[in-house]
Amino acid sequence: MLADASLLTQRPALGLLLCLPLVVLLAALVMWPLVQLVLQSVDGGPGAPWWRAWSDLVSVPRHRRALLTSVGLSAAAAIVSTALCLMPAWLLARRLIPGGAWLRMVLALPMSFSGLIVGFLLIVLIGRAGALPALTGLGSGLAYTLTGLVLAYLYFEVPRATLTLESAIRTLDPQLDVAARSLGARPWQHALFVVLPLLGPALLATLAMTFAVSLGSFGVALLLSVRGIALLPLELFMQYMAPPTDRALAAAMALTLAAIALGVGVGLRRLVEPRYA
Amino acid sequence: MRRGLWWWLACTVTIGLVVLVLSPVLTVVTIALMAACGIGPDGSPWLTGRDEILGLHAYGYLLTHYGSWLLFSLALAVGSVLVCLAVAVPAAWGLIRHPFPGSRWVEQAAALPLSLPGLAVSVGLVAAFPAVRGPWLVFAGHLLFTIPFMLRVTLDALRGYDLIAWERASASLGADAWRHAVWVVLPNLRHALVTGSLLVFAVSWGEFNVSYLLNHGRVQTFPAALYDTFANDGLPLAAAATVLFLVVVIPVSLGVQILGRGRTAVEQGA
Repeated sequence: MLADASLLTQRPALGLLLCLPLVVLLAALVMWPLVQLVLQSVDGGPGAPWWRAWSDLVSVPRHRRALLTSVGLSAAAAIVSTALCLMPAWLLARRLIPGGAWLRMVLALPMSFSGLIVGFLLIVLIGRAGALPALTGLGSGLAYTLTGLVLAYLYFEVPRATLTLESAIRTLDPQLDVAARSLGARPWQHALFVVLPLLGPALLATLAMTFAVSLGSFGVALLLSVRGIALLPLELFMQYMAPPTDRALAAAMALTLAAIALGVGVGLRRLVEPRYA
Repeated sequence: MRRGLWWWLACTVTIGLVVLVLSPVLTVVTIALMAACGIGPDGSPWLTGRDEILGLHAYGYLLTHYGSWLLFSLALAVGSVLVCLAVAVPAAWGLIRHPFPGSRWVEQAAALPLSLPGLAVSVGLVAAFPAVRGPWLVFAGHLLFTIPFMLRVTLDALRGYDLIAWERASASLGADAWRHAVWVVLPNLRHALVTGSLLVFAVSWGEFNVSYLLNHGRVQTFPAALYDTFANDGLPLAAAATVLFLVVVIPVSLGVQILGRGRTAVEQGA
């Protein structure tokens, strides 16, 4: 005989009530701002058509170049970091390396560094008067080049990619390795036909996440301000802060960044779901 | 332990990444230590007219000029932890134990801020609440980017338990729903709650993208103070400020790692 039957019943109304603060917060802080952004982006200014800001975004070469550079750099950073971090993730998940816990702590360290800190760390290491040039004479000013920018993006992607991939690899059954080997699969066959298909969704999810993070980062760009490389987040920041501000254009840029990040995330998920759902 | 070609390749890449992560941090700490002893990066004494920022004076200078920024950042981080606990934990319980039509949708919407570029969200927040721009809007931005972490950690913990078995036991012992929540559910969640809190604290403490735009020109967060010293002051002061930043963030990050034992796969806007 149960003393209080109400404990064991499922009450959707209670669930909704408990979620209410969260729902209100999301509506006020995500949905409402997005709506406002759309409204602001179509407010072209006096006498201008509603699409003025959007056509500026595409037709002004500076903005267009910034958009393409941002997408290219973020894609490169996402692909490189996912490919590289697969290796520590595999070693850590399968406990193939001594001192794994320590390695994981080191690799997870940049997690809470914003792009700004990463930029400064790179300036100190490979800036014009950095420690590496001072000690070896190599790499002076490297931080202010495209290489420096890629290294900086890699720096803050490492913990995200490694931790996500490690937890994905942990869910794979180690017995599969044994089975593949007993059936005579070579290591590359095992990797290509067993591990890769199972890990596919996690790989794409990691790609999407690292891409979104890179796309929105502007601390690195703000600090390194690489000559000749304009990035969309930095352009957006300037549109907002520098005196001839253009709120409509800034809103259009923000929506573009959000749409690309979301689109890539959803697209990559669609790519895997039909087969692995 | 098989040590084929792949193993060596993976080890090389891993060690390369460890060097990439550690070398700049160690360099900054070394520079800060040397500067504290009055030695420049090339080994000779610092030659500068600003004696008040040399040696350990740098920390005093930082605390007098950026002390209020430091406190603002700490208050933001602690506030975020408290609000996240109050909002995300009941919501997670509701989503798992009492699912309602659309609860899947709420769960996905709550993860949305993490896949949106931080700068885009902050421009949206300013557009939606131009009158509130300032410390409270910064707080709102921080909440937006920290709640998904707390929610995810709590949901993962709840999914790993047999909630119905607990309730059966509680009910058979005569507990009501309230006692059950306080004496059974919360104690079992304490590990997740501590991990989530540390995570939220670390994310809020390091956040720059959202805060800088939402709060321009007023008392800023500590990462913005870092930007100030990077852009305007010499290397010794910037290194000292970075060390202050790291002194807070490294123990918290290690705490997350030790408690989560690497199982918490987390994302954060950089």
